Amino acid sequence: MEGFRYIPKKQLFDCSVSLDGARKFFVWDGHPEGLPFEERPLLDCSAEFCVSTRVGKISYSPAEISASGKATVIIPKEGEITQVISVRVSPAPLSERTVIDCPSEGKFNVVLCSHTVGQDRFSTNGIVEIRVNKGASLDLVVMQNENSLSRHESDYRIRLEENSSLSLNIVTLHAGNVTNKIHTLIAGKKASCNLNGLYLADGQQIVDTDVVLVHDAEETQSRQLFKGILDGNSKSKFDGEVVVSPSAQKTEAYQANNNLLISDQAKASSDPHLVIYADDVKCSHGSAAGSVGDQELFYMRSRGISEKEARILQQQAFAGTVLEKVAHPELRERLSRLVEKRLRGEDTLCAGCSKRCC
Amino acid sequence: MENLLEIKNLHARIGDKEILKGVNLVIRPGEVHAIMGRNGSGKSTLSAVLAGNSNYTVTQGSVTYLGQDLLKMSPEERSWAGIFLGFQYPVEIPGVTNVNFMKTAVNEHRKQKNLPPLSAAEYLKMMREKMAYVEMDPSFSSRGVNVGFSGGEKKRNEIFQMAMLSPKLAILDETDSGLDVDALRIVANGVNRLKTPENAFVVITHYQRLLDYIVPDVVHVLYKGRIVKTAGKELAAEVEAHGYEEFE
Repeated sequence: MEGFRYIPKKQLFDCSVSLDGARKFFVWDGHPEGLPFEERPLLDCSAEFCVSTRVGKISYSPAEISASGKATVIIPKEGEITQVISVRVSPAPLSERTVIDCPSEGKFNVVLCSHTVGQDRFSTNGIVEIRVNKGASLDLVVMQNENSLSRHESDYRIRLEENSSLSLNIVTLHAGNVTNKIHTLIAGKKASCNLNGLYLADGQQIVDTDVVLVHDAEETQSRQLFKGILDGNSKSKFDGEVVVSPSAQKTEAYQANNNLLISDQAKASSDPHLVIYADDVKCSHGSAAGSVGDQELFYMRSRGISEKEARILQQQAFAGTVLEKVAHPELRERLSRLVEKRLRGEDTLCAGCSKRCC
Repeated sequence: MENLLEIKNLHARIGDKEILKGVNLVIRPGEVHAIMGRNGSGKSTLSAVLAGNSNYTVTQGSVTYLGQDLLKMSPEERSWAGIFLGFQYPVEIPGVTNVNFMKTAVNEHRKQKNLPPLSAAEYLKMMREKMAYVEMDPSFSSRGVNVGFSGGEKKRNEIFQMAMLSPKLAILDETDSGLDVDALRIVANGVNRLKTPENAFVVITHYQRLLDYIVPDVVHVLYKGRIVKTAGKELAAEVEAHGYEEFE
């Protein structure tokens, strides 16, 4: 009989994303590996991150303290891509906290990936605090690829200072039950923020997105584009609130949530809303659900593309308008390929992963 | 020689409106046909019906393509069998790059012929070569299909796609509309390069202008859903000089 073999974690999970200038770090069940992350006491977050703005009243409350009281702190460097790969291997529930702190005036790229290895019912609560300091710009891509039994709630708490900018793209490729709460405070003048999300769900999967975005300074901009492709019995819920505070004159805010329903059983609910206290603003919001254009379909079929392939191309096109917001060309290309595989029903699941994915 | 296409007494409507009222037409390999006619005469309907657009309903008549009942074939089957429609208004498909679009199309055609898909390098070589036919900048390949293309660029893209698929029967629906003289020449050169004794072209146009570059063997005048006159290339000049009044 073959004896028990010890398999290092690295062989269970293989990440082959080799982006030019990328530094890859693994976090195993919340424990960072290697030196670049410091474990340090909680930043004092009181009154810095907006948590709730329901019923028309703007209020801030202190950030919750994660179970461990410690955080994985990422201070990105200019000129490189920091890629943090969080892998869940043990079935015990996990609360983790990550801080991304972007120094003033720099331009930064960070990629956060979350994966599960094996078929356990992983349960993860994550808080991701993102601070984009004065004049800094952050391009952050989040890739979620977990098994169908996993439950993952991520709470993004974002604060933008003067003249800073953030582009956040969340790609939910595969997951059991995901909630992404994205609470953003645009605190400094002339700061701008792009929040984009693409979620793909089938079977019994559930993807919820909850955005609260507060413009609390003059001449700030925000653009949101969230799109979902839903098949099987999957469900998505989008709850989006944009608040423009009385002092935030000359604000521009746009929010859209569109869903493509592939099966009759899939459900998408969408509730975008605006709360505006300033008078000199440009804001819009909207949502739509449906299937896509017959004209496009006919055009493709007339070129010999079968109906099935044409529909996949259409779905890719639908997803593409979110993916094109990912600035890094190679990363965008890799994400597009993963999305295509997913749409074709080719497995992208990380169970017992020895595959090469993102 | 075997007929490539034979249309007999074709009637078609869109909604309740009958547009084609008995079209008869025979096309043989190696021929270039021009179909001229006013707006609303049924030119675009004829091309849409031949390509299999389900917005149109055929109520009477038959279309035989290489011995097969064309009307029973799906749009993609028609394409695989060698029919190509150059659209009057090429459709924009945001998010699908030209390269992905045509690669999928070419490989679907190959699949029908039991050929393996082209490798990335083979495809690229073929694409570059065909893009040169219509003086198209390679940067177009990474852009969304027809998205943000000018009128002329869209039409060049149609001819590029035609070159990639090497059809037996190409129907060009007002490919000349919205083109300036240079673009017209480029598009016509592309078509002329693709002409062989085995394939045929149907050029649908309002004006003689395009026919100065793509010289037809036969010219038809379509009027109120019927072909009312068929003659040699001199008919185009006649129509240009006197308009369509004589057919009223």
